Amino acid sequence: MTAVAAKPQAGGAMNPTAMAVGVVMLLIILALCWFVSPGAGLMALVGVTIGGVLIGFGTHFVPVGGAPAAMGQAPGIATGVAMLAAGAGLAGLFGGAWAAEQGLVVATITGGVGGGLMMAITCMMVNFVYVFGMGIPAASGKVAKDPITGDTQTEYKSQGTEGHGLPFVSFVGGVTGGFLAGAGGTIIYLQLLTLYEATLPAVMSMRPEQVMPIAVAAAGIFAVGLFLVNAVLTAYNITGTIEGPHDPKFKRWPRSIVASAVASALCGFLAILIVAI
Amino acid sequence: MSVKIEVIQGGIPHQKIMIGGLVSTLVCLYLTYLNVLTNTEMFAFFGGLAMITALIWGSHTIKVLCSYGIGTGVPSAGMIAFGSGVIAMVLATKPVFGMAAPIVALVLAAVVGFILGYISNNILNMKIPAMVQALTEMAIVGALSLMGFAALMTGGFTFAGLTTGEVSMLGLTISSTENSFIGGALIAVAFLLGAIAIQHPFNATLGPGWKQDRMLMLTAECGFLSMIVAAFMSFAFISAGSAIISLIVAIIGWAYTYNQYICLSKRDAAAWLDAKPIPDMEGH
Amino acid sequence: MEQIVFGIGITALTGALATIAGSAEDTESNIGSQGDPNSQVQLAPQMGFVHRIFNKAIAGEPPAYGLWCALGAGLAWAFMAMQVNAVLAIVIGCVLAVLVQGVYATTAYLGRTASLAKFGQPVYVDVLKSMTSVTMAHAFIAIFCTVTLCHLINGALGHPFPLPLLGLIWGIALGAAGSATGNPYYGKERQYQNQKFGAGVPISASGNIVRYAEAGERNSLDNGFFTHKIGGSASGVCFGLIVFLEIWRTILFEKVSAGWGAIVVGILMILIFTVIDRYIEVWARKNYGPYTEAKVAS
Repeated sequence: MTAVAAKPQAGGAMNPTAMAVGVVMLLIILALCWFVSPGAGLMALVGVTIGGVLIGFGTHFVPVGGAPAAMGQAPGIATGVAMLAAGAGLAGLFGGAWAAEQGLVVATITGGVGGGLMMAITCMMVNFVYVFGMGIPAASGKVAKDPITGDTQTEYKSQGTEGHGLPFVSFVGGVTGGFLAGAGGTIIYLQLLTLYEATLPAVMSMRPEQVMPIAVAAAGIFAVGLFLVNAVLTAYNITGTIEGPHDPKFKRWPRSIVASAVASALCGFLAILIVAI
Repeated sequence: MSVKIEVIQGGIPHQKIMIGGLVSTLVCLYLTYLNVLTNTEMFAFFGGLAMITALIWGSHTIKVLCSYGIGTGVPSAGMIAFGSGVIAMVLATKPVFGMAAPIVALVLAAVVGFILGYISNNILNMKIPAMVQALTEMAIVGALSLMGFAALMTGGFTFAGLTTGEVSMLGLTISSTENSFIGGALIAVAFLLGAIAIQHPFNATLGPGWKQDRMLMLTAECGFLSMIVAAFMSFAFISAGSAIISLIVAIIGWAYTYNQYICLSKRDAAAWLDAKPIPDMEGH
Repeated sequence: MEQIVFGIGITALTGALATIAGSAEDTESNIGSQGDPNSQVQLAPQMGFVHRIFNKAIAGEPPAYGLWCALGAGLAWAFMAMQVNAVLAIVIGCVLAVLVQGVYATTAYLGRTASLAKFGQPVYVDVLKSMTSVTMAHAFIAIFCTVTLCHLINGALGHPFPLPLLGLIWGIALGAAGSATGNPYYGKERQYQNQKFGAGVPISASGNIVRYAEAGERNSLDNGFFTHKIGGSASGVCFGLIVFLEIWRTILFEKVSAGWGAIVVGILMILIFTVIDRYIEVWARKNYGPYTEAKVAS
């Protein structure tokens, strides 16, 4: 059973020309935004791009094992990487949106803490089930010693598997990933919300309090959309599974920064055009 | 060990499905414009039909893309399609584009999809031959099916129609933004309905015995099912009579496609057993 | 003061609802066999192990539950916009969402099994008839509790997001939490019950899931009953803690030092869970011991 063509493996190699093209595209989009709506629009676009990069980068930290993890054959959480990151980030966005009127800094950190808290609880419960429900200790398959605690890993790996559970470095990775994803999503939401609150009354010829539901809901759904786009791009980057920040696949993160920046800038530019033209 | 996707061949070529899907979707979307000409909302159900034809096209695109083994699951393809399509669709409904909204949505989504495809293939080094075209097509499908949902639920695809509704307080009906497609975040429901419906047909029929007609029938069934619940939600926005028309069209379409899908599954299954034990296979 | 007491009361209620929802969600996904463990149900016939397990391949749990909860919330919102009573609206909305879920489940089973015809895996109509209603019932509990807690968050606690968007967010979070916690238990412990306890499944055993069990041929109801005890309860506690702590720290501390109070409390909670996790990890290493002798060199 083979795939259609002998597809060359999506290796970890970087493609400098493509990265350069990506950076050029980013600059072009920023320039277009400056023409169309300097000031508020450009600030919003920069914010959205930063938020998207945080989401893309943060998703690299989240330990995801995929189907083998569900059988105790690989370490990590047994869910898809895009949706796990989206779940944590959206829980963070929920908290960040609630704190929206307390200012950008407070709301962003609140969103980050919300995402980190969800991942902390989830990762702790995963280890709980592995240890007390299945009698399996945590062990990594990619390193001989845990980089943070120094625990040796190889002898705690059961025979025939690549490791299982969540070693401490994966736990820390998960919490960090949740924090960055939650913070990134909240930044996107807040930037779009501020922009829409300021410009929609003029565009729709209504009073500011009348456009609030539209501003909130539109900013919210665009934040969700950008979440998913960035998370899926990261999933493509790591080809589905990653053990955490200690995994060699983690070194692919520069590609993801450029990719997320261009994708978020593009979608953000469209979101800004809604009120700019 | 994950599910291996096999070489899948046969059936109507993808180009034909793409052109057929694109043309029917645009035609159905423009048929909802009859609402404006006749000043009713009776033709809202064409929005649902537009959504279904777009989904049929999109599910076949996902099959083409995932046949190459992208290394991650099928559902993510649906998510990236709709994540990029939703913003393009809302932008296309702006009054400055007027009646050309579906065409504008198509162009904008194509640009976004093309760039996302370039990013995936070159910056992220996925190097899949069909990637750029597939992501472009999927972004277009995402934007157009969301526009179909919007037309089905609100009767049209204008920005004003999507952002204002009516609420009755103390007997008076006043215009309100809270009671609208975007303001009430029903666009989020349409987003997920479409994202799951586009990837489910290939995800549910993949395997060595994949057959194109069975998958496409399943897409139609998922589309009509989504249309049923969307018609229920449209009761809040359009007149009861028009919503009932959409509901009846959806229920009849769903019943027919579901029945056909079961017949096709019966045709393709190894055996159709009722309360029988596991058959003996040699060696196990 | 009254405001805070009211807020705490609602928070406690949402925490309880979330716990029930998490438990029902995980049990439902185990009865239907959804998500990553389902890859084994799909693989088994290809390795010659024909079975009578329900093969519900509807994406993963987070997007699927995101859809059911958003759909339930959207329908409830639409009915409430038509001046239907809130409780009735939520019930009817969730019933319609569950009907959609049931139809998706049947099409998934028929589709995947028909595509495995080459390996002789039959379509068992009785499995279809008996499992679908059970999985729908569990899904209803999960969806109803989630939509209700979203309604409470929006209506009683004053969150700015409208109900359908909250349904999407908490649906995806529910699926992610329940899937992360419950999948390994179902996949390793129950599907591979014939493997040694206390170790992961070796790669050579892939596909050899348990098909003949305690009383005749195993079916998905047996799996649901077994996993509910630990996997379901753990998922419930996980999602309940997530919802409760997130809302609790906001309600109590958001006014303290202009929002920084809630942040500090959140960071403290993360540190507490880190300590607990580290304790669990060390406990396992000490009490279970290594599988092999530690290598002295390298």
